Amino acid sequence: MDRALFAAATGMAAQQQNLETIADDLANADVAGFKGSAQRFAELVAPGDGGIGTVALGSHVMLTQGKLAKSGGPFDLAIDGPGFFAVVDERGKRAYTRDGSFERAADGTLVDARGLRLRDLRIPAGALSVAVSEDGTVRATFVDGTRAIGRIALAEFPAPDRLNGIGGALFEATPQSGTPREVWPGSETGPKVHFGMLERSNVSIVEAMMQILGAQRAYEANAKGVQAADEMLRIANNLQRG
Amino acid sequence: MDGIAWAGSAMTAARTRLEIATQNLANVSTDGYARVGARGALTPFGVVVRRFAMAGHGALRRTGRDLDLAIVGAGAFVVRGSDGSATHTRAGAFVRDRDGALRDALGRPLLAGGRIVRVPEMGRIDERGAVVGPDGRTVDRIPLAPGSTIRAGFLENAGVDAIGEMIAVLAAERSFESAQKVVSAIDRVREKSAGDVARIK
Repeated sequence: MDRALFAAATGMAAQQQNLETIADDLANADVAGFKGSAQRFAELVAPGDGGIGTVALGSHVMLTQGKLAKSGGPFDLAIDGPGFFAVVDERGKRAYTRDGSFERAADGTLVDARGLRLRDLRIPAGALSVAVSEDGTVRATFVDGTRAIGRIALAEFPAPDRLNGIGGALFEATPQSGTPREVWPGSETGPKVHFGMLERSNVSIVEAMMQILGAQRAYEANAKGVQAADEMLRIANNLQRG
Repeated sequence: MDGIAWAGSAMTAARTRLEIATQNLANVSTDGYARVGARGALTPFGVVVRRFAMAGHGALRRTGRDLDLAIVGAGAFVVRGSDGSATHTRAGAFVRDRDGALRDALGRPLLAGGRIVRVPEMGRIDERGAVVGPDGRTVDRIPLAPGSTIRAGFLENAGVDAIGEMIAVLAAERSFESAQKVVSAIDRVREKSAGDVARIK
């Protein structure tokens, strides 16, 4: 295939993927605990013949801390530092999230918007209110006083960058990420849990909009490259006049 | 060389210029990409355009990720390619594996003196290339060129000026067109001399 045409076409395909990644970030920019992704690219190289285009390597999750913001929910939690809340679905399948916008279900467990339960915690029926301290200890207030009813552990991974995003702010463990270990929050250097707060997504809408503009223009520039290569072929074909 | 061969070499040269410009444009988002330059030369075989690696680096952009590393100054990261050989790259978007190895976006492990660099959990890279554990001790070192430093949380953009490359695309297209006109003109002259001048009535 024509080299210039091919290079420009790989550029268009790569920017297409770039746009999809940025669009996904923008769509989830309001989801608490959401982590944005970045598309990675590499030069396509033909052995001994130099570069022949580009290739999109796939999106890569950016596990940077989002800003913590006060929220209205009575069971809202935010993680300051590394780690994830471990949640389970109704079939017992585990997932990990930093979205701490939990609600109290009928059976006393804390569930997120998708119905995933926070593990190992059940709020007794008579509890009037609950509060969570920085070390994850959950205290419930009853008519006769306040009692600790459990402690929230966080899950940390040997290689969190290798977690697999499964939509929104949810992740699942992979062989590459390693198995999670339970970490108690509140230590000097470790993560802390903040009650009554939510972690905002780490996607900056302004930055994502700028990236979209950049990707669109790069796509157009590569499309022009395709046109120019095509035009050259047309001119070359006209050398032989009928 | 006759006129058609000269003009033909100009068409090939314009073609090469287009290939180089589209290659650069395609990599406008490739971190650490070094632009390919085009150098034209007049040789006994006509106009020839050669590729060469451009010096100079792209601007740094902030990502906030601890293992996104950008080199300020000369030099490059040494990674082990899939064929086992050491390869140089300035694309510093590394990911830490379970065993502590840092792998770039192509999955190639980062090397220091032929060994794979291992970063402890919660470890970080300081500006001198030292791999610092959570306890503050230096456990390894990423070799750097003299005077160069590392900035963690940054990546190096592609060193491609999209507008300049667009102009190169247009210039190559027009140059190709002009050379084609010359080829056609010479061809018409020859047609005339072969078909009309030598006609015997």
